[in-house]
Amino acid sequence: MPRPTELGPFRRPCATRRPAGGLVQRSTSVESEAARPLLARHEFLIRRLHSLTGLIPVGAYMCIHLATNASILAGPATFQDNVDRIHSLGPALPFVEWTCILLPIIFHAVVGVAIIRTGLPNTGAYPYEANVRYTLQRATAWIAFFFIGWHVFHMHGWVTLPHWREQVARTGLGAQFDPEHASSSVHEALASLWVTIFYLIGVGACVFHFANGLWTMGITWGAWTSPAAQRRAGRVCLAIGILVMALGTAALVGVWQVNARTARRLEDARLQWKHLLAEPPALVPATPGESPGENAERGGVSARAMSREASAGDGAATGATAAAGPVDARELGGGEGRYK
Amino acid sequence: MIASDHTIRPAPLAPAGQQSELPHTFVVRVLRQDGPGEPSYWQRFRVTRERDMNVISVLQQIAAQAQTEDGQPVAPVAWECNCLEEVCGACTMLVNGRVRQACTALVDKLLAEQPGEIELRPMTKFPVVRDLVVNRQRLFRALMRVKAWIPVDGYYHLGPGPKMSPADQQRAYPLSQCMSCGCCLEACPQYLKIELTRREGESDEEFARREQQAYDRGFVGAHAISQAMLFNTHPTGRMQAAQRIEALMQEGGIQVCGNAQNCVAVCPKNIPLTTSIAHAGRAATLHALKKWFDW
Repeated sequence: MPRPTELGPFRRPCATRRPAGGLVQRSTSVESEAARPLLARHEFLIRRLHSLTGLIPVGAYMCIHLATNASILAGPATFQDNVDRIHSLGPALPFVEWTCILLPIIFHAVVGVAIIRTGLPNTGAYPYEANVRYTLQRATAWIAFFFIGWHVFHMHGWVTLPHWREQVARTGLGAQFDPEHASSSVHEALASLWVTIFYLIGVGACVFHFANGLWTMGITWGAWTSPAAQRRAGRVCLAIGILVMALGTAALVGVWQVNARTARRLEDARLQWKHLLAEPPALVPATPGESPGENAERGGVSARAMSREASAGDGAATGATAAAGPVDARELGGGEGRYK
Repeated sequence: MIASDHTIRPAPLAPAGQQSELPHTFVVRVLRQDGPGEPSYWQRFRVTRERDMNVISVLQQIAAQAQTEDGQPVAPVAWECNCLEEVCGACTMLVNGRVRQACTALVDKLLAEQPGEIELRPMTKFPVVRDLVVNRQRLFRALMRVKAWIPVDGYYHLGPGPKMSPADQQRAYPLSQCMSCGCCLEACPQYLKIELTRREGESDEEFARREQQAYDRGFVGAHAISQAMLFNTHPTGRMQAAQRIEALMQEGGIQVCGNAQNCVAVCPKNIPLTTSIAHAGRAATLHALKKWFDW
């Protein structure tokens, strides 16, 4: 049952309902041209930017994100490789994250909430398929809004300040993702079945919102106009949605398949290897009887130095490495072996 | 689908057995309202079924008896109608919850779908004037916003206009069938009711200006977008194409569309409204680029 409004777009319709089904309106003043809200004056531009950010960068980022996550199926080494590649941006990473991912998502979400408030779904009276998708687009938007908000906290603790991360976020089950222990930390974060189900629902909502948004975007920008073209485009968008959902599901299956112990062992070994490469002379103690020339040979020494470093290290995970003896070369190579 | 039972055809002469399945009388529930801004209330009327009745003849009978089901005398229910052949749009209302023209809402079909009772309500997206009569001024104001006409007036004879290609004729004809009934607006989840109440001491002119200003900020609606596309298809009308697209890019323009596509599903004239909307979207995209880069 639609409610009345005398306000323009981006404003909540104000109305109270009388029991008999009658509607009462409140009168408000009509503002002058200059006093119109910024959102109203640039409504076209803002709505088109909202549409655009849904695909680039937000939608595109989601696809890449899910594809990267799905690579965990190929084993912790491959996944760690991919995570390391992203983190190789180093200090530029937060800048890229904020400008290319977070700010566009925040813009899309804030404008999206304003847009949702301008409509009144009426699937009860008009249960047509496209109208149901109109309503679902808004329902999945809310799910995605809260899911993404929580997901960024759950994995990254929202902000990367060390104090906040350790003292606040981690105590509230946030900041679970450790980029240096990608597979094992994600496995631990998703150890609960409920969390996994919540992720499945959240990813499903995001994927529906993306695929259906892609379809409506084509109409909005005028890419597909006739009903036949829109039907064909709808099938393509459905296929894209199924594909992206498959990636998301694969990622979750992959996370569950990880053997946390071996994954952590591998990740620790890789970490040691990385430190060793960064400062080889300091990490390799001179062994009596061996010539300095041999020590300098990085390839010949590193594997042994590696295991020595690992056994000298503290914590349960490195203890496991020590108990298992020297790490074999295949593990260090990465990418080849599977640790399930 | 609503569109399927809109065609007027003579009611079949049903055999006696089949006739008896339909009741002799039926109840009509009407959502009434005595005037603008007044509270609304339901009333029930008992109507004797006649052959080939439509909702207009039901309302005529209610007006003639002017009493409710329980015999209480009431003012006749007010409604609007004109052409009685679904080309004027005046009798548009909610029949059993679906927006359509009362003249082509046939009683026998309605009773077959929902036995015993017919529910009539005024359209919910327009201010109620009285009972089933609504003020659709905003609908016509939207046509003015998008300049849904071809300016041919001048001080001298302009001569014959350019020829229209058969392909353009084919595209334009369905759009020209729009009767401004408002079904597309009633079914649209993005088209919300705008109803202003008069302030104390406000003159007619002041109130009308304030109302018009409010209407101009609201969503134009599918009908106006489609009419803009109709006149942009016309070879003479095309000369003002940029102005119409510009009007569609203002507040409450094409961007408000949420692609629920109810408009095309409820349109009694089967106008390809969503195709018009997509064409307008494309034209707006190109127009924005043209403006931005000064092409």
